[in-house]
Amino acid sequence: MKFSIVKDFLVAQYKIIRGNRFGMFGAVILLFFGVIALLAPYIAPYELWESLRDSSGKLAILRHPSLEFPLGTTAMGRDLLSQLILATRTTVLIGLTSGLVSILIGANIGLLSGYYGGKLDEVFMRFTDIVYGMPFLPFLIVLISLFGRNIWFVIIAICCIIWRTSARVIRAQVMSIRQRQYIQAAKARGCSNFRIIYGHIMPNILPLLLLYTAFNIAWSVLAEAGASFLGFSDPNNITWGGMLYNLWISGKIRTAWWWFATPSICIILLVSALVFISRAYEEVANPRLKQR
Amino acid sequence: MQEFIIRRIIYTVFTIFAVATILFCIFRIMPGDPTAQVISPALDEASQARLKEAFGLDKPLYIQYGLYLKGLVTLEWGRSFTTSKPVFEILKYRFWNTVFLMGAAMSFTLILGTALGMIMAWKRGGPLDVSATVSALVLQSAPPFVTGILFLMILSYKLDFFPTGGMNTPGERLPGGIAMLFNTDFLHHLVLPAVTTAFYYLATPMLIMRDSMLEVTGSDYIELAQAKGLSPRTVMIKHAARNALLPVFTVSSVLIGFALGGQVIVEQVFSWPGMGLLMVEAASAHDYPVAQATFLLLATLIIVLNLLADITYCYLDPRISVSGGKQ
Repeated sequence: MKFSIVKDFLVAQYKIIRGNRFGMFGAVILLFFGVIALLAPYIAPYELWESLRDSSGKLAILRHPSLEFPLGTTAMGRDLLSQLILATRTTVLIGLTSGLVSILIGANIGLLSGYYGGKLDEVFMRFTDIVYGMPFLPFLIVLISLFGRNIWFVIIAICCIIWRTSARVIRAQVMSIRQRQYIQAAKARGCSNFRIIYGHIMPNILPLLLLYTAFNIAWSVLAEAGASFLGFSDPNNITWGGMLYNLWISGKIRTAWWWFATPSICIILLVSALVFISRAYEEVANPRLKQR
Repeated sequence: MQEFIIRRIIYTVFTIFAVATILFCIFRIMPGDPTAQVISPALDEASQARLKEAFGLDKPLYIQYGLYLKGLVTLEWGRSFTTSKPVFEILKYRFWNTVFLMGAAMSFTLILGTALGMIMAWKRGGPLDVSATVSALVLQSAPPFVTGILFLMILSYKLDFFPTGGMNTPGERLPGGIAMLFNTDFLHHLVLPAVTTAFYYLATPMLIMRDSMLEVTGSDYIELAQAKGLSPRTVMIKHAARNALLPVFTVSSVLIGFALGGQVIVEQVFSWPGMGLLMVEAASAHDYPVAQATFLLLATLIIVLNLLADITYCYLDPRISVSGGKQ
């Protein structure tokens, strides 16, 4: 019984993605990065901070992409392919964790606020206004510089801010659903509020939830990349933004195009994959978009 | 309507106050010595103790909090650890540099976005519609440091069309105040950072304008205008676009808020001496008085801009204040 629900759900999601050219593209890219993130430690040819020497024993500094180093090397003679693969793992970990945690916060605030209304709504929405007043990246920078350069502080800082948009949008949607007859009927039948919120309202905003899950992950990846590009990241783990930070401080930006190209392309690919998937859900959440 | 505006202003004051309080708490619960945020740990013991007393840091937290709020209002934001200049003096210039850059970038993105969105809805399904949607979504996925560095690599390093950073050519003095805005050297430096910011945020106004246009073109009054025999151009621009602008306007205040938060990156890439760059420098150097004041100033700017947008919106669409606030 339970299994069939999960199966139906997955089949439905597959159909939504499948039915949309861009959604399909996004899903393939996502799967690709997912596999790399999982296998990263096994497929990376070298260590993260290993300074390499070429066959003649010289330090391999700023090498162009070649057979020996497929994506070239950094100013410290480190292999960019290995860094890119290991960075994928960290980036995906940070993006996924903060995206999921923030949608959990945002969805619950939106659901409770929209369903109960009144005082609770007032408190939650004023709080959301306050968070909307926070400049995002400066907040990340301040928090990370105060509490330490560590992946978990990065995730916490991102989660503190990013839920705000989903909370507002989900609240508005819940407020319109709350008035519908089947909710009134469920109330009349004596359903508990908990059951109405999570059993009746939530399934109806599922496309919106998934849309904002994808968005939140995308924004987390962008935020993390931004913070690491500014140098505010965990020094023990590299991310794509961190690779670009290393390039920036090495001062080799004028010449080392290969060092710039691959991390940038990875960020753009991953984020646009998520944006395309969220577009696919947008067409489900807002069917009028598709008819046009 | 008046009541609505007054309530919004009270909310705004409350929000700024709350952000200031949260900031106070964050700086106090940080690990290590919280007084390090006002007194440089580089000083010797005796002068640290003297400064602690001067700043009231030997007093209980609630008194410190009171002093902190008083300092904010009276513009006494402390002195920088690194340059020992008063923080207010440093921020005075940085503030306007950021405002000029943001003003240019946001005007560009909103004008270009609405114009493109209008044409896309008009020629929906056409090659422009599809290609603009995809490129805007990809631009939105490219962080500003990627587009910014790409611009620098091609347009500055390779082709030498634009300067690589800063606000003026070294050695040339910029006129102060408004006159700066008409200085060609300044404008030349402004192009790349402004375009980089504008491209990143282009997708939002563009796609919202497109959807809103499509929504509007289904209305009766558009059919009426068409039935009157007006040219498609007149119908689109004079009748549809004007009414479709409202949602773009709504989202623009949020967008500007987001953009101010993301400004840090563009300023870093183009060494633009604004608040964002100051923020990075201060946070890296653990110059807390500067970091704290910059953060608060940015937050206040965002919150006040949102208030202005709300008030303007309430004049543009009187339904809002009648129904008792935004839903």
